[in-house]
Order: sequence, then structure tokens, then C-alpha cells
Amino acid sequence: MADATRARSISIEAEVGRLADVRAFVREHAARAGADDETTADLVQAVDELVCNVIQHGYAGDQGRIEVVASQSDDELAFAIRDDAPLFDPTTVPDPPVDLPLDRRPLGGMGVHLARALTDRFDHRMLPRGGNEVTVAKRLRTVTGGLGDGHHDRPAEG
Amino acid sequence: MDITTDRPRADLAVIGLTGELDGSNFEEVIEAGRAARDGGARRIVLDLGALTYMGSSGLVAIHSISLLLRGQEPPSAENGWQAIHDIGNAEAVDSEPAVLLLVGPPPSIERVLSRSGMLGLFPVHPDRASAIDAASLA
Repeated sequence: MADATRARSISIEAEVGRLADVRAFVREHAARAGADDETTADLVQAVDELVCNVIQHGYAGDQGRIEVVASQSDDELAFAIRDDAPLFDPTTVPDPPVDLPLDRRPLGGMGVHLARALTDRFDHRMLPRGGNEVTVAKRLRTVTGGLGDGHHDRPAEG
Repeated sequence: MDITTDRPRADLAVIGLTGELDGSNFEEVIEAGRAARDGGARRIVLDLGALTYMGSSGLVAIHSISLLLRGQEPPSAENGWQAIHDIGNAEAVDSEPAVLLLVGPPPSIERVLSRSGMLGLFPVHPDRASAIDAASLA
């Protein structure tokens, strides 16, 4: 069962030095949900990439805050990433070329591609207050090989 | 993340990474590669075996070290991320085989390399010894 006393969200300054805290938050919630190693690793990667993108491109060096909210339904573990940066929908970013030789391939630009490739759901919406909410979710495969235990964590109000 | 550099030969450097490689520290890896190259290394073995996480910034670090070994200068993040993304639009000036070898990526990191199409661009070895042997033959 979920521990109701544990925070279901984390709020950080938009600094790359806080990425480790975000990954720890995702790992903690994946562990609580009983997610298997691959599900956990994929969600950690996707959230890290998207938060890093907000820091580097959304706020582009300016100060700002990013909130990551965890939620769980019967068979899905989801993380919503909220910011106050200019409106930007990463789900519209085309996949980069991955079959080019080193000399001709872009240096970088793989973060959104990985977030999309490693998850089952990748959504964006504009928050009512302005800013962005990007959600990544993955079908919950547990260490016992089944789906989640069926308890629900209601996402925090946006 | 901890970075160690060993020099088993004058023209070879083995850079070992331990911990988590992400957007906060990938430039340190590039600088370790640059220091090795400036110190005479013409081949670099990058040991990923003790990494517990690698973000796509790690892909930038690997790509950048490869460019450095080819005598090209990767753009720095200080010049803006757009410059980093744009470098692929430039015409290639050097198509020599890469002289960067990777060692022991854990499954989650191998998946990142694979998904980004970079797994096939560098030789991957199970341990340092075999990579050093291969670098000696290259």
C-alpha cells in the first residue's frame, strides 16, 4: 500500500544539480509501486530527460521552478512535469535521425526521443496558470511479473 | 560521479566513470577526454561499467570525445545548446574510423545507446582488458 505520509511531488529549482533529486524521487515511487527494474529505469530516464530539457531549453538559464508529480492507477505509473517556462510541446518534436554516422549526426537532441521511446504515454497540456505540464507514463510491470496492486494515488491538484 | 584516468600506454587513455552521468556533469567527462587527448592519447577506452545512470547528456559526452580524437572541436554548452544540436548539419570534414572504445555498459545504459543509434558506432567490450587489447590492434 502507498504510504500517505510520503510526498507525491517534488519541487526543485531549475538547476541541473537537482536532477539527481528528481531521479531519486522517481525511483522511490517506482519502488513503492513494485515496478520491475526496466520499468523503473525507463521512467527515471524519461523524467530526467524532460526535466533537463526544461532547465536547458525552457528556462534557458533563467531562474524557475519545476514540479514533478507522481500518480498511479490500476496498471500505470505516471509522472507529470510542471513548469512556468514559455509554452512548448515536446510531443511535437520529431524524432532525430538515429541511423547517421557520427560525422553527420546532431550532437545531442536525444532526450525527447528517449522519453517518447521508453514510455507508453507522452502528453502535453498548457496549465491554466500558464506554463507546461508534460506527462510520461508507463504500464506498470511489477517485480512479481504482474500488473500493479490496484491502489490509486490521486495526482495533486494542478 | 567520479572520473579516473589511467594511461597504460602513451597513446592510450582509459577513462573510468562511477556513479551517475547527467546534465550536471557531462562536461567533466568531455574535459577528461580533452585532457587525455592533449596529453598524447590517440585512443580512449571509456569504461561505463560502474555507471548507475546515464542521461542523453552522456551521449553528448561520448560523441564529443570521439570528435576530439578526430581533431574536431565540439561546441560547448556555454555557446548554447542550439549550437550542440546544429553540429550535425555541418558537412563532415573527417571520416576516419572512431578511436573511442566503450566498456561494459549496464543494461539500462546499453538500452540508451541502442535507442539513440549509437551502440553500433563504437566498439563495445565486456571488460577493460579486451578493450585495451583491441585498442592496441587498432
